[in-house]
Amino acid sequence: MSSREREAHTLAGPYAMDAISEPDRVRFERHLAGCQECAREVASLREATARLAAATAVSPPPALKERVLAAAAATRQQPPAVAPAAAPRPWYARAWPARGPARIRLALVTAAAAVTAVAVLLGVNDGSMRDQLSRDQASSQQVAAVLTARDATMKTGTVRGGGTVTIVMSGSMRELVFTAADLRALPAAWGYELWLAGPDGDRPVTMLPAARHGMAGPVVATGLRPGDHLMLTAEPAGGASRPTTPMMFDVVL
Amino acid sequence: MPAIDLPDPQGAPSGGAGAGSGLAALLNQVARGDADAFDTVYDQVSPTVFGIVRRVIRDPAQSEEVTQDVLLEVWRTAAKFDPGRGSATAWVTTLAHRRAVDRVRSVQKEADRERRLATAAIPYDEVAEAVEASLDRERVRRCLGSLTELQRESVTLAYYGGYTYAQVASLLGVPDGTIKTRMRDALIRLRDCLGVSE
Repeated sequence: MSSREREAHTLAGPYAMDAISEPDRVRFERHLAGCQECAREVASLREATARLAAATAVSPPPALKERVLAAAAATRQQPPAVAPAAAPRPWYARAWPARGPARIRLALVTAAAAVTAVAVLLGVNDGSMRDQLSRDQASSQQVAAVLTARDATMKTGTVRGGGTVTIVMSGSMRELVFTAADLRALPAAWGYELWLAGPDGDRPVTMLPAARHGMAGPVVATGLRPGDHLMLTAEPAGGASRPTTPMMFDVVL
Repeated sequence: MPAIDLPDPQGAPSGGAGAGSGLAALLNQVARGDADAFDTVYDQVSPTVFGIVRRVIRDPAQSEEVTQDVLLEVWRTAAKFDPGRGSATAWVTTLAHRRAVDRVRSVQKEADRERRLATAAIPYDEVAEAVEASLDRERVRRCLGSLTELQRESVTLAYYGGYTYAQVASLLGVPDGTIKTRMRDALIRLRDCLGVSE
């Protein structure tokens, strides 16, 4: 941990109590985006501050209830997954510019189909290639299943260092499809590794295959759990069992 | 707030306990525009919201105004509540506290400031006075009492007083860095003492 990171880390206490100036808040939220442990710590400290708040509880004047209920009846609610204008912006919202799902979905379907199409075009005779093909077909079927799930939702985000990420996820299947475009080229013997991280620690998902025409993936992550993060790091090509470099992308699913 | 609604096998949000888990379910209904659910949410959270807002702002009329804003924000943004990131109670109190702090920092009238300076140092005693009825309050009081004096003053000035850590440092005549770490240490100790599940 660099001294700068350590310094940012000590802001967890002030941040959890809103005892922080606006510039510090912005700085710390930037730090939080790449520090899952800090996000968890802040969440746990806020359970403590919630108790401090509860200890002050006192009923408001009864007339207030009528005013609030009347105002609510005249107030349109925000739909999910759109960053509120007035409310505190969640730190992870920054990474998610809105995007039309149709186009991306089409791109993903195309990519999945291309895997099969390429193998067919090449003509597949030898055994290893046949194995590869059946694996690819299994994977493209998996991809298609997620993309066509009734509850499939899509997110896009940007990768630190360059590139964009598209995720289509099905909560009911607990699976997601991940693709990345225009990732920065890594040195030889390095690759991008995808991770899921939850309360029980980090789980490697897979190394991303080398990009073709600027597009890496699609890959499928299965066994999603509530509260999981999806993260991307650069690792030695063989893959690591734990992230060894800073997160280039981190989002709460 | 994720758009993805992962089914939770336990059916209970992490961090929620007792009425807290009920609150998470109610917020879910509120997000779908259920006015009756919002009525119940109001009854459950308005004392805590009004309590902490009034503690920070002091002025009763402004406190009512901010309390109304907070509850309307709960109505408006219930869909943003994410049980994976903490309890429903913590979500609501964080909204409330932040709004209250924003209000006192944007107002910052001299007279108001002085009045708050004079009173901010005593919330611990006020908490102590307000104890009787509630076991929860008793526990908070006891846990605050288990902190070192510097930790306790840091927390009460920051959380109940609405001061930034830099202001607290200057009030207590202690370096910024010391206050920052004391605040974190104090909250960790409080969290453990209160038996708050993450």
